[in-house]
Amino acid sequence: MSTYQEFIQQNEDRDGVRCSWNLWPSSRLEATRLVVPVSCLLTPLKERPNLPPVQYEPVLCSRANCKAVLNPLCQVDFRAKIWACNFCFQRNPFPPSYAGISEVNQPAELMPQFSTIEYIVQRGPSAPLIFLYVVDTCLEEEDLQALKESLQMSLSLLPPNALVGLITFGRMVQVHELTCEGIAKSYVFRGTKDLSSKQIQEMLGLTKPAAPGQQGRPVAPQEAAATCRFLQPVHRVDMNLTDLLGELQRDPWPVPQGKRPLRSTGVALSVAVGLLEGAYPNTGARVMLFIGGPPTQGPGMVVGDELKTPIRSWHDIQKDNARHLKKATKYYEALANRSAVNGHSIDIYACALDQTGLLEMKCLSNLTGGHIVMGDSFNTSLFKQTFQRVFSKDYNGDFRMAFGGVLEVKTSRELKVCGAIGPCVSLHSKGPSVSENEMGIGGTTQWKLCSLDPSTTLAVYLEVVNQHNAPVPQGGRGAIQFVTQYQHSNTQKRIRVTTIARNWADAQSQIQHIESSFDQEAAAVLMARLGVFRAESEEGPDVLRWLDRQLIRLCQKFGQFNKDDPTSFRLSESLSLYPQFMFHLRRSPFLQVFNNSPDESSYYRHQFVREDLTQSLIMIQPILYSYSFHGPPEPVLLDSSSILPDRILLMDTFFQLVIYHGETIAQWRKAGYQEMPEYENFKQLLQAPLDDAQEILQTRFPMPRYVDTEHGGSQARFLLSKVNPSQTHNNLYAWGQESGAPILTDDVSLQVFMDHLKKLAVSSST
Amino acid sequence: MEDMYVKPGNQERGWNDPPQFSYGLQMARGPQRNPLNKRAAPPTSSGAEALPAATPSCNPMAPPMCGIAPPPLPARLPPDGMATPLTRTGQMRVQREADSSQSEPDMETVMSVLNRALDACRSSVKGPVCNEVAKRLRLLEDSWRCGKLSLPVTRRMDTLTQELQAGNWDSADEIHRSLMVDHVTEVSQWMVGVKRLIAETRDLSPELLKPFQSSARPESAEPVGDSDPEQELEPEPEPAGRAPQPEQRLQAPGSQS
Repeated sequence: MSTYQEFIQQNEDRDGVRCSWNLWPSSRLEATRLVVPVSCLLTPLKERPNLPPVQYEPVLCSRANCKAVLNPLCQVDFRAKIWACNFCFQRNPFPPSYAGISEVNQPAELMPQFSTIEYIVQRGPSAPLIFLYVVDTCLEEEDLQALKESLQMSLSLLPPNALVGLITFGRMVQVHELTCEGIAKSYVFRGTKDLSSKQIQEMLGLTKPAAPGQQGRPVAPQEAAATCRFLQPVHRVDMNLTDLLGELQRDPWPVPQGKRPLRSTGVALSVAVGLLEGAYPNTGARVMLFIGGPPTQGPGMVVGDELKTPIRSWHDIQKDNARHLKKATKYYEALANRSAVNGHSIDIYACALDQTGLLEMKCLSNLTGGHIVMGDSFNTSLFKQTFQRVFSKDYNGDFRMAFGGVLEVKTSRELKVCGAIGPCVSLHSKGPSVSENEMGIGGTTQWKLCSLDPSTTLAVYLEVVNQHNAPVPQGGRGAIQFVTQYQHSNTQKRIRVTTIARNWADAQSQIQHIESSFDQEAAAVLMARLGVFRAESEEGPDVLRWLDRQLIRLCQKFGQFNKDDPTSFRLSESLSLYPQFMFHLRRSPFLQVFNNSPDESSYYRHQFVREDLTQSLIMIQPILYSYSFHGPPEPVLLDSSSILPDRILLMDTFFQLVIYHGETIAQWRKAGYQEMPEYENFKQLLQAPLDDAQEILQTRFPMPRYVDTEHGGSQARFLLSKVNPSQTHNNLYAWGQESGAPILTDDVSLQVFMDHLKKLAVSSST
Repeated sequence: MEDMYVKPGNQERGWNDPPQFSYGLQMARGPQRNPLNKRAAPPTSSGAEALPAATPSCNPMAPPMCGIAPPPLPARLPPDGMATPLTRTGQMRVQREADSSQSEPDMETVMSVLNRALDACRSSVKGPVCNEVAKRLRLLEDSWRCGKLSLPVTRRMDTLTQELQAGNWDSADEIHRSLMVDHVTEVSQWMVGVKRLIAETRDLSPELLKPFQSSARPESAEPVGDSDPEQELEPEPEPAGRAPQPEQRLQAPGSQS
């Protein structure tokens, strides 16, 4: 087992890939019987400090419909200077620059340790990064002040040559002209009227109306740059922009009693998208939308301005009583798709106590790789630091953001691509390796990621082509190549190529090998993404039933048991954690909407379908550490039995960090023992989880909420709602001993869940 | 280390708002020492009688449950149990910024360096830009004079001007950034002028720069030229750190391989 764990870890470290199965079944039928599809999690830009990029172009297979990149799996004839493509078997001559290669003088891309390699390629002029701030001014004074300061601060974090622009909106939408001198001018749009991209560009003077022939392709970027007064280099306009931001006022239109302010978010976004579309198509750009409430007028309106009409809830949606939902969603989807076509990403920073319409607007970020950040107020550390971290830098001093990513998946003949799930859109690239069986965003081998960062992770689902009567011959390996082209934050064009291979195995004779190659962590996340993807279009209970069905089938396939004898059921170590992951996933906010607003559900799902394996798994099953006098901190079961009086618990749910002091610890703390010199050890015990929490807080994006609570504290509910309720008010006395903390719930515990699972798995009738 | 601190979040406005880390602390962050990413395996993923393993409640170390007994004394404990030193960088609760006892930096000194930097720029930088910078330097001077600037800000400005004069542009720029991040409310109106000044002096030819750099600081005795950058910017040295924690993972007692 440890060897597979090492193998999995090594591969993740080197390639940023985690596969559900690390041996692949040799026929389609056998693959289907494994329940969890052949699939993988890919982190295309995983940080690799020890991988310096090479400064030349990749060598491509000469077959027109292959074009795979030369890689360590290719067979090379060093004497004839020919290489055979491992995907299509085409024999290709090396380019002249490779004349000097030999067995002892190999280029990096042929060496096994470079199964992942990055190329710097020079193509076209390098374009500066673009940041367009779209700012809601219908905020409370305190919030607006804090937001203004954060925006001013961000000017110091941007690279000096980055282009920056400002659009503000309330009842009207204002596009600010940024000049170094003279009077500040702005263009005002009505917030109620939807305008086409062309109209917007004409009104802003971006296109010459006299030249209708240019339709579709407005002006070359250079030309536009000269004329675009709305997007200017930071180093030229930072002084004026600082003043401009400093002088921003709350929206001046009076808001009558009982009304919401009129907020033209839809038109503001339309203007932002149209502006970038006209001035910088196909150039990396970030629209950063800051909102303090829902859109209340014009296209994209989510709720009316009458305060007596509350914003839609899950209940309204289920009753088909959400008036604006469909129309608004459609409006923002159209904007998101336009933005994605141009390679521009859209962030949403929503800070308000009530919902702001993330449900309707989520596609803006989900399709373009933008961030969604949800906070209570702009004047919080949660927003301020999260916003700062958008501009964080890596070990080289480069921004942790990349633009205009295109991911292409190439497979060997035995495999086809079913689809991908992540912050991407399809590029509709058909080809022989596209499967008919769609999973996630399918029907293509290429996806666009308008914005991505080192943790952006896609789930890629595959299928085995070979029929049962003609399985893949033994002894071979299947291969996948991931080619990611992107614009690095230093404006270089780069291509990252990762080529992986796994052995084929006969599912009849080698089922145990296949079983031990199962990566239950990756599988849990890959199945969870499918579940969350379904949850966007299907009813919650249907998704749960689907997940349950898959779990039961998996247990039937791999469990050892005597028919109809649940007590005999056993799972091997490689699957031992999987049911537990599914148990917690069922309870998670990604699938349960109870107690969450539609906005919250959208936000949680947004984060879930983009993070890497480690973070995703924390979201599915939070991590719980226990601190005590009995030894060093240790991971403990996410179970009510872990809540003990003499322990401090640290729980990480990704979205929250909870420090929980057990009853005795809390009493000691109240009595002030930590202040007495002779109880130094107690002081240290109290400090230890704080230090560990701090480490997590310093790296997490977005900043989590932070809860410091104790036994009986109202905030202890965060912990109590996450632990497995193994002890409840119903069964407490049946245990015969007092340990742990009973949870007041009728929720099913893991034990009951497992009992049912076993019963169903061993039943001869299912 | 006055630029390394953690201050509490804004609980008034943000529900369970996390603490706020200073710029210096964020930048000094090394690789995670102790990633908490382990999970305990379920006690018996297979056995039907999967009861949680209960810890015996009569632990010799733990005080009795009734009433409030004191915590165990350290003498009776193996010291490796809990070894987090108290001198760790960020204590989550305190803001340690204002407790230094150094004296207030001299405004005249700081302003004179900035103004001379601006003078050096005048011959090559456009007039309106210089005037804008001058306007912001006056703003800075006014706020300082009126006592609107806190000690950490004036101290860091003092360091910034020393770095500027020494030609350590990156370091000066970094201090400007730390001020914008940590004290944006106080500095946002004028800092952008200082930022521009750093950028413009960086681009000056050596001849133009010479008069600015050669003029000694009026009151500072120690040379600032090639001396090592301010210690304020160095990451706080790591204390011995907590006792290394064995990589541990609870094994599933009931599971079979």
